[in-house]
Amino acid sequence: MKDSRRLVLDKLKEHGIAGDTSYPAYSHPHTGITDPREFFRSVVESVGGECRFVADLEAARKCVAGSEVFLAAKEVCSYVKEVAEGNFEAEAKADAHQCAEVDLTIIRGELGVAENAAVWINADPLRHRALLFISGNLVLVLDGRDIVPDMESAYARIDFSRLRSGYFISGPSKTADIEQCLVIGAHGAKSLLVLVVG
Amino acid sequence: MKSHARLAAAFLKQEERAHWHDQALWYVREKRDRMAASVPDWEALRETAQAIKRHALANLPRYLEEFEQNAAARGAIVHYALDDAEHNRIVLEILKGRNARLVAKSKSMLSEECGLNEFLERNGVEVVETDLAERIIQLAGERPSHIVLPSIHIRKEEVGEIFHKHLGTQRGESDPTRLTRAARSHLRERFLAAEAGISGVNFAVAETGAVVICTNEGNADLGNSLPDLYIAVMGVEKVIPKSRDLSVFLRLLSRSATGQPISAYTSHLLGPRPGQEMHIVIVDNGRSEILRRERFHKAAFCIRCGACLNTCPVYRRSGGHSYNYIIPGPIGTILAMHRDLKKYKDMPYASTLCGSCTAVCPVKIDIHRQIVLWRNEVVEAGYLGRAKSAALKTTTLGMKSTRLFRIGGWAVRKLLRILPPFVFNNRLTIWGRSRNLPKMPARSFRAEFRAYSRSKTDLSESRMNREARS
Ligand code: SF4
Repeated sequence: MKDSRRLVLDKLKEHGIAGDTSYPAYSHPHTGITDPREFFRSVVESVGGECRFVADLEAARKCVAGSEVFLAAKEVCSYVKEVAEGNFEAEAKADAHQCAEVDLTIIRGELGVAENAAVWINADPLRHRALLFISGNLVLVLDGRDIVPDMESAYARIDFSRLRSGYFISGPSKTADIEQCLVIGAHGAKSLLVLVVG
Repeated sequence: MKSHARLAAAFLKQEERAHWHDQALWYVREKRDRMAASVPDWEALRETAQAIKRHALANLPRYLEEFEQNAAARGAIVHYALDDAEHNRIVLEILKGRNARLVAKSKSMLSEECGLNEFLERNGVEVVETDLAERIIQLAGERPSHIVLPSIHIRKEEVGEIFHKHLGTQRGESDPTRLTRAARSHLRERFLAAEAGISGVNFAVAETGAVVICTNEGNADLGNSLPDLYIAVMGVEKVIPKSRDLSVFLRLLSRSATGQPISAYTSHLLGPRPGQEMHIVIVDNGRSEILRRERFHKAAFCIRCGACLNTCPVYRRSGGHSYNYIIPGPIGTILAMHRDLKKYKDMPYASTLCGSCTAVCPVKIDIHRQIVLWRNEVVEAGYLGRAKSAALKTTTLGMKSTRLFRIGGWAVRKLLRILPPFVFNNRLTIWGRSRNLPKMPARSFRAEFRAYSRSKTDLSESRMNREARS
């Protein structure tokens, strides 16, 4: 096995790539976005999610409390206690498999990207990162000041030095594998609500 | 092995399906166009993406080592495999070492290339494909017909049949939502039971040791977070230098692939989750040879978006199974030829050389140019076949001599006007079997042009005369 490593690396030393092979200097800001918040909202909706602007966490709480998903949910796991108490403590479970019945998870996003509605989630504080995918529905709580226009500005803000896992989530899970008909809710969340606070 | 032309003809016999296939893919292509047009710097992004690939692949040993060190520092165990057999062996050993007999797998073209599933099944490991399309294909016992939309050739009624047989859904069910829900609960149960997860990799970041995976369904994430054993398999070409480079590739990938601004999930995994064992298998399997061939090395830049398939007029009309290589369409063609020139000799001819693939490719691979060059290689290697070779030789002769060309042209113009069409459109003429000839002009181009220049001089002369008079 050690040998294969050396062999592969040696084989790759020779190559036929012609021309300039220096690392390019680049910057491609998305210049078409004048109002990142509004742009973000419209893209969230175009990818099958829902986006609400709320003044503060109290307003966010009301918004969630009145939502159909919340009213129908039996097990709610909340990492933003100001928004909902929740009745399921994923942190108290030894194994992610025990979270399989969670209907709704409420969690903070660190960044929202206007150009593609992606919300960056640092999963390191979670005992079970699987919760993000196993939960029936998701509510992401985002600070209004954390919306950036494009992916380039997003990556400029993410610190990978200690990160173990991070996710961009853009809308609910989906598939179009049967005759290209879009079906929301493949394996992951069946609905996704982004609450932009402030 | 049947040729592309034969397999395509079989696909086209089912007219309704073939038409639907063509339209569905064209719709995806149009979505891609709208998405591309909405990003102001699209062309510059493509240029940058290619420049990053050029740089990364010219310095692969360095970046692979950097990636390996960083991934290992985060607790991942890194393996190298020279070829498909070694890749399969490594994966099996890891699974056996942990006594894993049920694997939740998410889509990976590399594992298709290596025949991993069959190998594992032969060795007593049950592999469950968890991407919906891959699962459909697996239950149907077929192979993917598209690299991003593996089951695009299967209609919903057929999915209903397959699910009725294997998942016990109601007979005659063909509603996509209800079928998807059935697959969700069936696969959920498998996810919870799986002892290991296997997935492909979209990008591997040297700077951090991160493995980046893009999916819409969330299947890869259940597979890499639930089980205590996770194996990521990747080709050597997946490494990019910096995290920042992801911004370039992610902005291009989903927009090119399905016309989405980004996939629903883009996961960055830096080492295993607490309590988990994570392996990364880095595979060459012919990639170093591709990179060594100057004329063809760009084929290794591919990020597997599938845009060149969606846009290809031949692929859309002939279906993925008409190509004998596991990866179909334009990119499949320029990859297959590296594998086996003789076996896949007909693939470069399954092209109109229209260049649409090259025009949409997010990393600007000169796909159609490579296809032409591969035709050269096929001819040079003597694999063209006698009929086509003879036809080409005759044409070359005619093209080389002005006199022969003129006589030939005259004869063809005369003859084709008198001969009935079946002389040309019959089963024995390879070209005319499925094509019609255009109407023959009365005069040759030369004669036409001479007449035109004469009339032009006449015209300008008469205009001059007129102007002189006035
Ligand atoms: S060759 Fe280009 S267009 Fe085709 S799949 Fe690869 S990256 Fe996409």
